[in-house]
Amino acid sequence: MSADRGPSAPDRMRDFPHGGGELGALIRRFDWSRTSLGPIDAWPQSLKTVANTLLLSPVPMVLLWGADGVMIYNDAYSAFAGGRHPALLGCKVREGWPEVADFNDNVMKVGLAGGTLGYKDQELTLHRHGRPEPVWMNLDYSPVPDESGRPAGVIAIVVETSERVRAERRREEAQERVRLSEERFRALVTATSDVVYRMSPDWLEMRALDGRGFLSDTEAPSIRWMDEYLFPEDQAAIWSVISEAIATRGVFQLEHRVRQADGAAGWTSSRAIPLLDDDGEIAEWFGAASDITARRKAEQHLRLVVNELNHRVKNNLAMTQAVAAQTFRNAQSVAQAQVSLSSRISALAQANDLLTGERGADVSMCGVLEQATRPHYPSLERRRIDGPDITLSPKTALSLSLAMHELSTNALKYGAWSTQDGVVWIRWSIYRPPGGGPKRLKLEWSERGGPAVAPPARRGFGSRLIERGLAAEMGGVVKMRFEQEGLVCVIDAPLTVYAEEEA
Amino acid sequence: MSLRILIVEDEMTIALLLEDMVTDLGHQPAALAMRLPQALQLAETEALDLAILDVNLDGRMSFPVAEVLERRGVPFLFATGYGSGGIVETYRDRVVIQKPFSLEDLGRAIDKVAA
Repeated sequence: MSADRGPSAPDRMRDFPHGGGELGALIRRFDWSRTSLGPIDAWPQSLKTVANTLLLSPVPMVLLWGADGVMIYNDAYSAFAGGRHPALLGCKVREGWPEVADFNDNVMKVGLAGGTLGYKDQELTLHRHGRPEPVWMNLDYSPVPDESGRPAGVIAIVVETSERVRAERRREEAQERVRLSEERFRALVTATSDVVYRMSPDWLEMRALDGRGFLSDTEAPSIRWMDEYLFPEDQAAIWSVISEAIATRGVFQLEHRVRQADGAAGWTSSRAIPLLDDDGEIAEWFGAASDITARRKAEQHLRLVVNELNHRVKNNLAMTQAVAAQTFRNAQSVAQAQVSLSSRISALAQANDLLTGERGADVSMCGVLEQATRPHYPSLERRRIDGPDITLSPKTALSLSLAMHELSTNALKYGAWSTQDGVVWIRWSIYRPPGGGPKRLKLEWSERGGPAVAPPARRGFGSRLIERGLAAEMGGVVKMRFEQEGLVCVIDAPLTVYAEEEA
Repeated sequence: MSLRILIVEDEMTIALLLEDMVTDLGHQPAALAMRLPQALQLAETEALDLAILDVNLDGRMSFPVAEVLERRGVPFLFATGYGSGGIVETYRDRVVIQKPFSLEDLGRAIDKVAA
């Protein structure tokens, strides 16, 4: 232990350097005779003065003396040097820091030539802890003259700035991330066709809304946004969904009606999320809303179409049921009923083709006659039609079609089409009654060249459908005459109520 | 008891079936209307004990007929392919039969309305 008790006898005798902390002690103890500086007692005063000044400074400094740049540094520099201290003391600078020998070579050349060097945040890779690491420093080099006035060394102030540089880089990277994120956000807002909006935490105030032409814009905060964008009757329901989102700090999501920029009612799919501040409180709501007006209209239309289809199916089943019930009721035999029913269902199905258009799409008289009689007449010459083409409502067209089917099957079985050359004339005209009043339609079905006919002993479904059903349908009178030359059926009904003359 | 029944139905074949069914149930088809103007006129002028109303008469609703019948104190029932959703609020609690319906369906509905 005695060896460590304090400075050795020669140390105690030395009064250079004065103080200087740990490095001061090390320098006093160091055997400088092994270096190009020679024994410490023989150092020139210039070297001693600079070395002692350096040792007393709290700023990290190193003196590189002589052509080799022998290193003398202070406590502050030893902290910078890390694991390289204390071996660095008395080293030649190019050997002490071999990883930056080129850099220091330049320093020595410039300094000993009387020049100065200054570097700010200079990055060098140093091996201070047994491995390479990037180190940033502010470096200032100045020449130190000896007694002759010529530069004999270089003094360096070495302030490590790694921490600050790293912090700055982290801040810059963070700023860059924020900038990129903001740029992306702006691009998103610009690229989307959605309406974007911002609301206060309690939704009482709209901060801004970019309406994209779909809705009117709100550029300054507004507390009247509800009346601006929502119809009064919708407000309560929408507000209850908003309140729920506020209470749960969840997502607001709703499809609702909106007042469009043009004042008309539109539909939007709106979604907003709460943005939280550092304390976890809602800072504001950010939302996007797309225009789904067209989709809602299409859906609504589809619902109507489906409902209408359902109705038509039920109606058709009811009609089929009615035809079946009456066919069997009036049938003389099951076999005959089967044939009649099958034929009537075919007629119903074909007549339905006339009605496949939209409800209210009218059907032409010629189309109805052609469609109902074609399956039955033996040849085209044996069915003559003559009259102005007029349009009929789908319902009248259906009834007329069924009536014409009944007349056709009757003609084929018992009338003009049951012989070699009998002909059926279908003639119609529009006339104004002699006593005045609305225009009327008179349609006559007359069979010629068939067998002599007589009124049937028993009226079947066909004649009932024609005389009673069609008359009621057309709001007129339908008469069947069984003349010697053949059957004549005359329909006389107002034109204007149920059909429109083609312009 | 045989009732005089007004039939309002715009589909010819179904109208004729209704006439048959009414007859089969022991009642009399008093009149047949297939469009709204006729139906309104008959509802106003005919001597009636009951009426069967199709809801949709070639695109026009038969509720004005119901109004006339209500005023005259004539009970009525609706026959429809649309379901009770197609019936206005005022008459939603009335007897409705869905098309297609059977003789028994119609008989029960008439008895319920006439009671």
